[in-house]
Amino acid sequence: MSVNGQNGEETLVELRGVRAAYGTIEVLHGVDLRVGAGEVMAVLGPNGAGKSTTLKVLAGLHPLAGGDLLVAGRRVNGALPEDLARAGLCLIPEGRGVFPGLTVRENLRMATHRGIPFRAIEEAAYGRFPQLHRRRSQVAGTLSGGEQQMLALARGLATDPAVLILDELSMGLAPLVVEQLYAQVADLARTGVSVLVVEQFARVVLGVADRAAIMVHGRVSDVGAPHEIESKLSTAYLGG
Amino acid sequence: MSVTMNNDGTDARVEQFKAEVAGMRLRDPATGLDRLLLRLGVLGMIGGPLLALVGYFLSHSATGPLQQRDAIVQAILGLAITVAGAALYVKASLAGFLRFWMARFVYEQQAQADRLAKAVKGGPTA
Repeated sequence: MSVNGQNGEETLVELRGVRAAYGTIEVLHGVDLRVGAGEVMAVLGPNGAGKSTTLKVLAGLHPLAGGDLLVAGRRVNGALPEDLARAGLCLIPEGRGVFPGLTVRENLRMATHRGIPFRAIEEAAYGRFPQLHRRRSQVAGTLSGGEQQMLALARGLATDPAVLILDELSMGLAPLVVEQLYAQVADLARTGVSVLVVEQFARVVLGVADRAAIMVHGRVSDVGAPHEIESKLSTAYLGG
Repeated sequence: MSVTMNNDGTDARVEQFKAEVAGMRLRDPATGLDRLLLRLGVLGMIGGPLLALVGYFLSHSATGPLQQRDAIVQAILGLAITVAGAALYVKASLAGFLRFWMARFVYEQQAQADRLAKAVKGGPTA
């Protein structure tokens, strides 16, 4: 059951009326969102809007309280996160998600679970981010924030994902590093990987996104082209 | 930046992704295996000793050797069910605990590494 989006590309990921809760408190009240093949979809919104929870639900890390989650046209409610990851859905969580006690090489070795040779993973990672090569024997916890994010991104990309889910890629990073990371994301999208990215800081991500959505109070309030969404952002952040 | 589906590499990856998702095993989270095993384990630990106890009394009250042997077999079966139930219970409990422990371990490790990195860089420690 493939659905074609407005640009003609095939829908790879779709959330239909997704609800989720922490205990008895519902935080997502019917989220509708879709990402096409090779599309960069940015989800923006203020703190507490439910952006990260939406990503966790999509990655299978948080249970659905209602609605449907469709991946490649198949309803995958209740799928295990490891099965989704193995299929090619890669989440890079907020706070980088590297193993701080392992070296850069050891962190990259963790990406061999899809059967890709370690040498190929290293070559791809160091090709994208040469500074990781210089730090390959360094413990990841002692890298700078930007380098840790590069490592997380390199490790995620090494698994050859079909869908990349990024949660607050820019968190705590210098603007220059953020631009470098988003340049990699843009390159990746050009190769056909679908990207769903959640950001609080809109400027850079709207520059690489094909479409964007605004989330407020657990709902998607607006979806549209980046320039349309940009004009509505202040209302979403400030209320009114 | 949208990619129309005319690139061979893109097509192949999308097709592979669709095939992998189609072949994915799905389970209903409401009937999680661990919870089912836990319940089976508790049932075994309650039902097994009862079965063994009934077998014990049956063997005492029986006069024929055939009936006594049947009762003994029943009692041994009860003990086996008890042991299997206990094993299932421990397995299911450990799975839940280990998942929690691993998440906790990764979090602690991250926090410790952050503190060390901050200290090495000369910043104030949390």
